[in-house]
Amino acid sequence: MIRPEVIQKFVSIVGKDRCKTSPEDLLTHSYDASILEFVPDAILFPVSTEEVSRIMVLASAENVFVTPRGSASGLGGECLAKKGGILLSFTQMNKILEINTENRYAIVEPGIVIADFQKAVEAVNLFYPPDPGSATVASIGGAVMMNAGGMRGIKYGVTRDYLLGMEIVLPSGEVMKTGTITAKDVTGYDLTRLICGSEGTLAIATKITVRLLPKPKARRTLLAIYDDIDDAGKTVAKIVEAGIIPATMELMDKTVIKAVEEAFHLGLPLDAAALLLIDVDGDDATIERQSPLIAEFCQGQGARNVRTSSSEEENVQLWAARRAAFGCIARLRPTCLIEDATVPVNQMVKAIKKVKEICERNNVQIAVLAHAGDGNLHPLMLCDQRDKEEMARVEKAMDEFVEYAMTIGGTLSGEHGIGVNKAKYLPQQLSATSLKIQRGIKNVFDPQGILNPGSFLEVSPK
Amino acid sequence: MIAKELQEEVYNCIKCGICMNACPVYKQLHVEGAAPRGKVQLIKKIQEGKFDISEGFKNLLYTCLLCETCTVNCPSGVKIDRLFKAMRAEVLKKYKLPLLKRIMSTVLSSDQLLPFCMFWGRTLGNPLMALLPKNGKIGAISFSKLPKFNGKPLMDQYPEIISPSGKAQGRVIYFPGCANNFLFENVGNSTIKVLQRLGVEVVFPKDLKCCSLPIFLSGARQMALSNIKSNLSAFSRYDNVDAIIVDCATCGAAFKEEYVHILGEMGEDTKEAQKVKNKVMDISQYLAKFDLKKYLQPLKGRVTYHDPCHLVRSQKIKDEPRALLKQIPGLDFAEMVGADVCCGGGGTFQLDHPDISVSITKNKIQSIRNTGADTVASGCPGCRLQINGNLGNEKIRVVHPIELLAEAMGKV
Repeated sequence: MIRPEVIQKFVSIVGKDRCKTSPEDLLTHSYDASILEFVPDAILFPVSTEEVSRIMVLASAENVFVTPRGSASGLGGECLAKKGGILLSFTQMNKILEINTENRYAIVEPGIVIADFQKAVEAVNLFYPPDPGSATVASIGGAVMMNAGGMRGIKYGVTRDYLLGMEIVLPSGEVMKTGTITAKDVTGYDLTRLICGSEGTLAIATKITVRLLPKPKARRTLLAIYDDIDDAGKTVAKIVEAGIIPATMELMDKTVIKAVEEAFHLGLPLDAAALLLIDVDGDDATIERQSPLIAEFCQGQGARNVRTSSSEEENVQLWAARRAAFGCIARLRPTCLIEDATVPVNQMVKAIKKVKEICERNNVQIAVLAHAGDGNLHPLMLCDQRDKEEMARVEKAMDEFVEYAMTIGGTLSGEHGIGVNKAKYLPQQLSATSLKIQRGIKNVFDPQGILNPGSFLEVSPK
Repeated sequence: MIAKELQEEVYNCIKCGICMNACPVYKQLHVEGAAPRGKVQLIKKIQEGKFDISEGFKNLLYTCLLCETCTVNCPSGVKIDRLFKAMRAEVLKKYKLPLLKRIMSTVLSSDQLLPFCMFWGRTLGNPLMALLPKNGKIGAISFSKLPKFNGKPLMDQYPEIISPSGKAQGRVIYFPGCANNFLFENVGNSTIKVLQRLGVEVVFPKDLKCCSLPIFLSGARQMALSNIKSNLSAFSRYDNVDAIIVDCATCGAAFKEEYVHILGEMGEDTKEAQKVKNKVMDISQYLAKFDLKKYLQPLKGRVTYHDPCHLVRSQKIKDEPRALLKQIPGLDFAEMVGADVCCGGGGTFQLDHPDISVSITKNKIQSIRNTGADTVASGCPGCRLQINGNLGNEKIRVVHPIELLAEAMGKV
């Protein structure tokens, strides 16, 4: 608990309206998109770097825990007040400060929603490629702290690849700049990319500078339908091997197709075993060349049917449906735990088989979604969190799958992060030396340990 | 507590957050409690006995337009608006309705008070309205933009059976709704005129009551019950009608969506409501089967269309009103950006939260302005009040699509 007189001091920084302590506010800031819940002691809504800095100076002096939060669409409790204290919400610090068309960069505040930002830059013919499934919800600040990936990873990479620099506030309250606005920069350690993906444990971003690309002239979406999920997986491997790089390659299995169709009524075939949703973008010539080639690969690997979208409106619909797949799954069972282990692309078919086998053995209902071009699997474990016995089976299946992914050269998490739930697996991937160095880095940034306590480094086995 | 099947809904919310960026109110406030996801989670805690219905919860629950944008965007299919509507009724078991809404609900649900107030409204209200300060406001609406009361209620201007011109081709019941009955007579006159012209006999029952949507959506279900039953029995008196025609989006939503749910959740018989639900048609839907071209004279100008929540989401009517407008020769139709985004009125929402309401409406007005239209058409009196009330000095006319259609049909 934070003492009332300390709360008063926080109020004097942000004002009464932007310091919330009512039970309703605390409860509505206790969750993210996982099943974890931690209730904070107060929520502050800063709107300037200066306020954030003053908040951190005070928090350091009073030894109060502070956890930064974007839109709380994360999947591992990263932005929750795991040990109570202040939750620092950036939903009201959400302006676009600059879109520079000459040098192709933009500077934004952390709270802006990714899709809103994408729309703004596309209006001036620029393009911000990182596109997590939750782009219509998630904030850029959250995406930076989690190094969010998403659907365009295969061609365009992830959030980290577009970061030029940041203005950050350290736990001590000191304000610091990292990076530059130039395309190249090798001055000193690359702190920008260290903080990106740190799950909000090192510093708080208050301004973010991102690199932009020219907007692709056109795009086309292909929908390939399969009677066997293996064939879909093989198609992906073949396309990657052939050196063709589509903008996206998303895989859905029959359970996901069913849930998505129920929500969106797009006319997806309910008897299909799997589908691939493939986007090609670029100039017209590239699209004309690539799309028939990709269609051929799909058919060559046994696709029952390959359909090309007829309009941008149809593209938008198909991708809106893919975006919502996680939510659609809740139509089948109340709870959905989403796995995020990522494997080398040529191992994906095997990995999908394995996760199905593991779930079957543990009597866990499963659906498979994947950013297939990246080997980024999203097995969705369907359950009901009220059923303790079932949840234990789900956890066992997860343990087994993570262990398996490690043995074939995979990683614990491709893009969702470690957070609370995956921390126990950390030593399976990171050596004792690696963990020691990471804890050392944390200590340099946050010697008092007040920023986002209860995060992965602390809860992982020592 | 709320109905069992609604209770289960909260467990289907996976908290993905897609509702947040869909919610017009959240987009203004950026506080989780204002987000549909936040309210659903609070309802879950209340159901599980971990949190009590509180003043704060009540305020959050009413900081909602009930525009249903969250519901139609929820990938998990959570019936968010149904949950909120039912919860409002629960909240009223503990807290009273605010005075203004209590007065409004009492008047709308009373056989004597409503005509009484409307009588004094037109005799005293109309002349007094000129005396109101020009820059004053009621809720989000400027005084100077308030509509005048009809000289005579629409219901008293027509006989019970209105014969068509020429041979009868059909027979419908007409439900005018309070707004048209007392404020916007030209909408009702236009509907009736168009139907007559098309050879449709119009039955205009004299004992229709307020549809009561504003009453039961504020949570006062018990107060609305007698009106609901009375309307259902009035409708059931006439068989041999093709449809029950409604030209108010809200009344239509009440008959087509709400009555069955409300009665069901209150443990009342829903058989009549179900029959009515299948009979009710928005005027734009009913007119879709007619070949109107031969009746229409050219109009001038450019029109844009605003989708009322109660049409586009509650009743899934999107194309029909546009089709009517596009058929009018000489009239240039321009689609606005975000036509289906709530105007920010939300019935009594604009009275409770004028600031939030106005900031939402500003975006709508900008959208309208961008089309360069001189007329905006919308089939909902609430949206009409809200949009017109926030247009300032702009010379843009706000009308019901049927009014334009009637104009294009010329004098009968």
